[in-house]
Amino acid sequence: MKIEYINPFLNAVDNAMETMIGVSPVRDKPYIKDSRTTTGDITGVIGFAEKRISGSVALSFPTKTILKIYELMMGAPVDEINNEVDDIVGELTNIVVGGAKKEFSELGLPFNISLPLVVSGTNHVIKHKHDNPVMVIPYSVEGNKFIMEISLMVK
Amino acid sequence: MKVLVVDDSVTMRRIIINSLKSSGFDDIVEAGDGVEGLANMDGVELVLTDWNMPNMDGLTFVKELRKSPVYADIPIIMITTEGAKTEVVEALKHGVNNYVVKPFDKETLLSKVNATIKG
Repeated sequence: MKIEYINPFLNAVDNAMETMIGVSPVRDKPYIKDSRTTTGDITGVIGFAEKRISGSVALSFPTKTILKIYELMMGAPVDEINNEVDDIVGELTNIVVGGAKKEFSELGLPFNISLPLVVSGTNHVIKHKHDNPVMVIPYSVEGNKFIMEISLMVK
Repeated sequence: MKVLVVDDSVTMRRIIINSLKSSGFDDIVEAGDGVEGLANMDGVELVLTDWNMPNMDGLTFVKELRKSPVYADIPIIMITTEGAKTEVVEALKHGVNNYVVKPFDKETLLSKVNATIKG
């Protein structure tokens, strides 16, 4: 996976977090995932496709992290994952893939994106668009971890 | 001024509505998609709409409003993750007056709202 195809997603995560919650996420070393199970308790997934590029991106959060992000975004805490937390996960995923889409368009690789799908539960499985290796980028915000998963094919 | 906020994300609607209220807008109605938006247009003087939504997306909603003699000239701001130049041009071509790309901060949103009202 070329770094020029990863950077738009990295930039979009930084921009989404800095603008929506006022915190710059700290990025850890990426790795390749060898199972379909994700590490988070709640995950937003969006697929995208066009003639030359297709794939999917997931943002997966442990409960503690997403409740913190909810509080920072909405200005009030919640005790557990509820419909509004689901909604924020979907919207954040949408913002990240939408931000990346703009950069890919400037690279001559426009694509259309699906509406976000949100899945929750411990050890839930994320089905990406392709069976090729999935890149995982670990993050933390104020010490709270989350990950972004990227599955991508460019012709 | 009565404002309609259309977005399928309830939390995004709340963020937008809270920003508007902080700037003195207190007559605000909301809708989760274009179909609900069309059903809630009575008395609306400014529309803020998302693009990607189920049932009826924002661009179709805008086209429907522009076809209506009542709402052909109503100010419309699109608030969306669709930030690519081609999308912005398409939205403006179909009658969107102003454009805000998500993620946005409150100041950017209110500045676009005020510019659109004055425009």
